[in-house]
Amino acid sequence: MTAPGVVRLRPRSAAAMAAVTIVGLFGFGWPLLDARLAGASSQTAHSSDASWLFVGLLTLLLVIVLAEISEGGIDAKAVAVLGVLAGCGAALRPLSGGVTGFSFAFFLLIPAGRVFGRSFGFVLGAITLLASALLTGGVGPWLPFEMLGFAWTGFGAGCLPRMTGRAEVYLLAGYGAVSGFLYGLLLNLSFWPFAQYLPQQIAFVPGGDVYTNVVHWIRFDLTTSLGFDIPRAVGNAILILFLGGPVLAALRRVSRRANFNAVPTFSPQPSEGLPTS
Amino acid sequence: MTHRLPRLLHPGAWWLWATTLAIAASRTTNPLLLVAIIAITGYVVASRRPASPWSASYAMFLTIGLVCIGVRLTLFALVGGAPGTHILVRLPVVPLPHWMAGVRLGGPITAEGLAASAYDGLRLGVILCCIGAANALTSPRRLLKSLPGALYEAGVAVTVALAFAPQAVAAVGRLRAARRIRGRHDRGVRRIRGLAIPVLEGALDRSVDLAAAMDARGFGRNGAATQRVRRTTAALTLAGLLAMVASTYGLVARSAPAGLGVPLLVGGAALTAAGFIVGAKRGGRTRYRPDPWRLPEWLVALTGIAAATGVLLGPARELWPSTYPLVAPPLPAVPFLALLVAVLPAWIAPPLPRVRAAGSTTAARSVGSRQAVRVAS
Repeated sequence: MTAPGVVRLRPRSAAAMAAVTIVGLFGFGWPLLDARLAGASSQTAHSSDASWLFVGLLTLLLVIVLAEISEGGIDAKAVAVLGVLAGCGAALRPLSGGVTGFSFAFFLLIPAGRVFGRSFGFVLGAITLLASALLTGGVGPWLPFEMLGFAWTGFGAGCLPRMTGRAEVYLLAGYGAVSGFLYGLLLNLSFWPFAQYLPQQIAFVPGGDVYTNVVHWIRFDLTTSLGFDIPRAVGNAILILFLGGPVLAALRRVSRRANFNAVPTFSPQPSEGLPTS
Repeated sequence: MTHRLPRLLHPGAWWLWATTLAIAASRTTNPLLLVAIIAITGYVVASRRPASPWSASYAMFLTIGLVCIGVRLTLFALVGGAPGTHILVRLPVVPLPHWMAGVRLGGPITAEGLAASAYDGLRLGVILCCIGAANALTSPRRLLKSLPGALYEAGVAVTVALAFAPQAVAAVGRLRAARRIRGRHDRGVRRIRGLAIPVLEGALDRSVDLAAAMDARGFGRNGAATQRVRRTTAALTLAGLLAMVASTYGLVARSAPAGLGVPLLVGGAALTAAGFIVGAKRGGRTRYRPDPWRLPEWLVALTGIAAATGVLLGPARELWPSTYPLVAPPLPAVPFLALLVAVLPAWIAPPLPRVRAAGSTTAARSVGSRQAVRVAS
């Protein structure tokens, strides 16, 4: 049923994706690791330098991934579907509003990653966020982190095991809940070191050991962001549960209609009834 | 004086100017300098922003910045924690459960702590202001147009998304009207389902039409690149990627040798950039009316760089004014004068082209004035 490889994943694009994933893990996780940059200076202002560095590095790597994937791996149909789905996602994102933390954009991204494959999910996640930021004039240092978080969500949706029928919708709904929750936790990590105004028990300790920072981070999640993460997870699951089936059907229909990666087959003998001249 | 022709400045120049100002803001907590940066970005935005939907984003970012300061001050007032002797108010202390041990709600609010958190909040707010200025001054479409050739396909996908998002919103309105006419008043999930699925179906059909149109016009055909060029691109990009991944280890791990991080990072970026330049030769694509990069663009970018350099050169004692003991922040001469340079783009940047929508007389006047300028130059 699935049509993997709408966006072809060549070894070089895979290498670029792996690189951005590794750097992204560092970029999100440096506050939890024993950060050399954070510990280098006692002045609190310098502790955020590491984060700024990763903003630049992740932007650069996302650019490389998009360039690598688009070079030869994308055709007109994939670009058109990418653009239209990203446009829908970008239009849906402000509708849901940031108040509850719940975002409509997930419910398109996850079925699309499922139907069109993991690399398509990766690119769609990144491009949806980019288009949304450009539309609302919200380009800023948070953008690469959001793009990467969404890209991972789309990629993960493409990696889910093969299932059909109602089970598939339950699977996607469960994934939507888990990914919506994890997305919140991850994005907390990206701005948490900047939030130096927090009380000491939940604040980032520059140069502190791993255990302290992990405990503080979990406390921070529990006390501040759970009110955003749980509605997002529940909202994703409910939307996919109710809309997942028709959305999957619509996406599969377009994947058949556009006939992605069709391989022409030629029969050895010309069929009868054709004029022979 | 050809550059006085009304035109929009290259978006890259505005982004450079704004980013350098944001860097300058991130290196100081001196409120005098930070307020100067707000004033500068505000003035430049007011005089050089085009009439477009996103030009309101400066005010939006300014509001977010103010919220930042407000949240910061409120949180400080609630949980305190900074040293200080000048107590302004004493709030009642709220007891908390034991797992929050160490967190104190309420208690004395000191002038020193208030000043420290206000300075820090202001710094974050000013960085947001700079980003908002860049968002207000540049058009995302133009920014996408000046992407390097290697990003062409991704750029097209984003352009399609930007063009499509308003259409999707319009489609929702249309469908809602159609449902109302048919007397359907569903609520909740059923309503969303009745709207979302037709919008999505329509959008996907449109995307297939678009793909056919793009395919018919030769989109996605690449010029022939020789085997050698392709191999060189691959080698450069992969080597650059490896270097950059290795650099993160050098930056984060304490056990890594000290000089590993930044040089590897810069080297990796340079290698990848070289790969991009070699790879761009494959395209054979031309640009439709490319945005030029002329003297004003150089000057605008340079003013930003000059301001950031000036601030970085300032004495640390004056850039990070003491809040404990609390003193009046000094005005450092070199950083302040350097920052003032960054207001020059309000005059350096070419005047904005007039919008023709306001009627024939304005259009005629606009054309007339443009011709007059051309004659004068």
